Amino acid sequence: MALDIGSPVLREFGSEQSLLSKPDGSATFMQGVRERSREQCVRETCEAALLSTLHPRSSLTLVLQVVHDDGSLLACCLNAACMALMDAGLPMSRLFCGVTCAIDAEGRIVTDPTAQQEKESRALLTFAIDSKEHNVMMSSTKGSFSIKEMQQCIAVSQTASERIFQFYRDSVKRRYSKML
Amino acid sequence: MRETPLSNCERAFLLKCIQEKKRLDGRQTYDYRNLKITFGTDYGCCTVSLGKSRVLAQVSCELVPPKDSRPTEGIMFFNLELSPMASPGFQSNRQSELLVTLNRQLERCLRNSRCIDTESLCVISGEKVWQIRVDVHILNHDGNLMDVASVAAISALSHFRRPEVAIQGRDVTVFSPEERDPVPLSVYHMPVCVSFAFFQQGKDGGKFGFAESVAKERITVLTREETTLDTTDVHATAENVLSKADAPPEVVPSPVIVATGTGQVGEGLQNAWGLEEEDDDEEEEMSDAAKQKKKKDEVMVISDSEEEEVMILNQDLK
Amino acid sequence: MNSIHSCFKAQIGGVVLPGDVFRFNGSSVEEDSNIKAEKMVCGPGLRRNGDEILACKSGILRHKQPSMYWIDCQQKRYVPVKGESVIGIVTAKSGDIFKVDVGGSEQASLSYLAFEGATKRNRPNVQVGDLVYAQFIIANKDMEPELVCIDSCGRANGMGVFGAEGFLFKVSLGLARRLLSPQSEIVKDLEKIFPFEMVVGLNGRVWVKAKSIQQTLIVANLLESCENMTAQQRQALFKRVAEGAL
Repeated sequence: MALDIGSPVLREFGSEQSLLSKPDGSATFMQGVRERSREQCVRETCEAALLSTLHPRSSLTLVLQVVHDDGSLLACCLNAACMALMDAGLPMSRLFCGVTCAIDAEGRIVTDPTAQQEKESRALLTFAIDSKEHNVMMSSTKGSFSIKEMQQCIAVSQTASERIFQFYRDSVKRRYSKML
Repeated sequence: MRETPLSNCERAFLLKCIQEKKRLDGRQTYDYRNLKITFGTDYGCCTVSLGKSRVLAQVSCELVPPKDSRPTEGIMFFNLELSPMASPGFQSNRQSELLVTLNRQLERCLRNSRCIDTESLCVISGEKVWQIRVDVHILNHDGNLMDVASVAAISALSHFRRPEVAIQGRDVTVFSPEERDPVPLSVYHMPVCVSFAFFQQGKDGGKFGFAESVAKERITVLTREETTLDTTDVHATAENVLSKADAPPEVVPSPVIVATGTGQVGEGLQNAWGLEEEDDDEEEEMSDAAKQKKKKDEVMVISDSEEEEVMILNQDLK
Repeated sequence: MNSIHSCFKAQIGGVVLPGDVFRFNGSSVEEDSNIKAEKMVCGPGLRRNGDEILACKSGILRHKQPSMYWIDCQQKRYVPVKGESVIGIVTAKSGDIFKVDVGGSEQASLSYLAFEGATKRNRPNVQVGDLVYAQFIIANKDMEPELVCIDSCGRANGMGVFGAEGFLFKVSLGLARRLLSPQSEIVKDLEKIFPFEMVVGLNGRVWVKAKSIQQTLIVANLLESCENMTAQQRQALFKRVAEGAL
């Protein structure tokens, strides 16, 4: 099987931080340019990364507004959530990112599928990967796949996450460039 | 979560500024902030920012049976939402006074002004019509939400394309964008709201679209006007008096409206509004002349493709 | 060379992200066998986790001699810290305390008696909506924060109710800290344009007052614009203003 772990194909990223004046932190995240369960996925991932013990008796509201949906929506939501939390300066033990893999009818693994590719896929897997040990923090799957395929998807996602974390770092660097 | 309270010092300073005809960001009383319209990659999606206020509008459509009272007309549905993202004071799932006001005003501005040709949205009379849904999400609240929301909604409607349909007898075929180019809506005119705030019994009048959190002592008069290039008559429905709870006693509950289209306030102030209104229109168009032009172009395109639509229908009928 | 410091050294002035780890490097232990119990102070954004130091905020790593490290973060939300001076807005009077909004996640309390010269009989004249410059005497995550307007000797020491005139606005916490630093270049540059009074709270609230409304507005807008400008850009702008561009 042609599986190129070395360079998973992710579309162009785009992001903007601190774009809104009223919230404490805000970020958009674009990737190539089922609500309750999705909310649960994002919530649990954020809770795992945040050091919420430092702010007892306080509530945190995270609002995600979908502007376009061209596939990999959950992964994009996770990335936006992580950047917004980071932008707000909330204490976090680690960063996280979301990667979606689609397995098509021939068993090929496609990372960051478009809406069209999602429709044609046999299975759709989304993982939240943490920045420290590249462990899987959350997974959300749809369709049927073998354990081996899932392991391959995780491996691909972990490799792809490197790119996203590097993108986070570059974005933050750009943001603080005037203060250096 | 609470909104940051307004301190006495800010209130006093603001009123003093207005007395001197100054505004916090250096604008004159009739100056508008910069308006920016960004269109998304999908049809019918646009983000509009006015200063720091930011609004996202999304248009979608679906085939539904028409209302019994109007069997040959499509349905327009508007939905404006305030999320805590816009301002920490907003709570989701709660009908606040502001939300109700904004929703009602948006409907009045866009549905009641009949700016969209709803009859062209009819597919089969009495059976199937298009329902056009406009979702307006407030992303950041930095004052003057009504104006931004109205611009966002009408821009998104002009940008929107609905799928092409073919009718054979009673069967309706909806074509995907790949099969046939989607068709734009026919937009008759582009209504835009312009808000004014009145301070201190209207002794110092002026258009204040910014920082409503700062301008507590204010009455907003929302004026609806048509901004078609050569339209000189301006429909004005001065209404919607919105005074905040802790307004000082000297604020009168309703401003004096002398005639439709003009909002003369106070006696000492010279009424230069006849002129100002034209200025406003020009200003609107100058501030984003390119976009306005683009809009006009789009309007042209709309009429073009309407003809196309008719032709296609004829072909099908043959 | 202390080993824990050496792993920070390379990163000072650089951008760090949450999850970045600074680990005690065991290999260099032999070098200084006469290790004294080395101390280091972790400031905001850094946490100790076993024998490693963990960054929990994004920002720029800063260092102060001999062993202080912290992360300079451009966040907007204020978290009360004991001893910090802030500008609060009085929102309510209830019993023996004022409720004060400081921009944190909850309101702080301020006692009637925490003003210079205040007694049970002689209550300070504080109205709802007034500004107070005050210091945190209690601030921790588990308790309601408490403010005082007196120092340990019972003197006002610059604190108390202020701001009958002038203008209050908000800046990022980072900018507020930059304005408060003793050698703040922004303030020095701004002073050259015209004289003005300024109060800066660590919670990002800034109060300014100049001779006229116009001048106050100019100062406020210039300070706000400093948020995202390099030193050169700022000096160029201030020069234009001084020459009468506004």
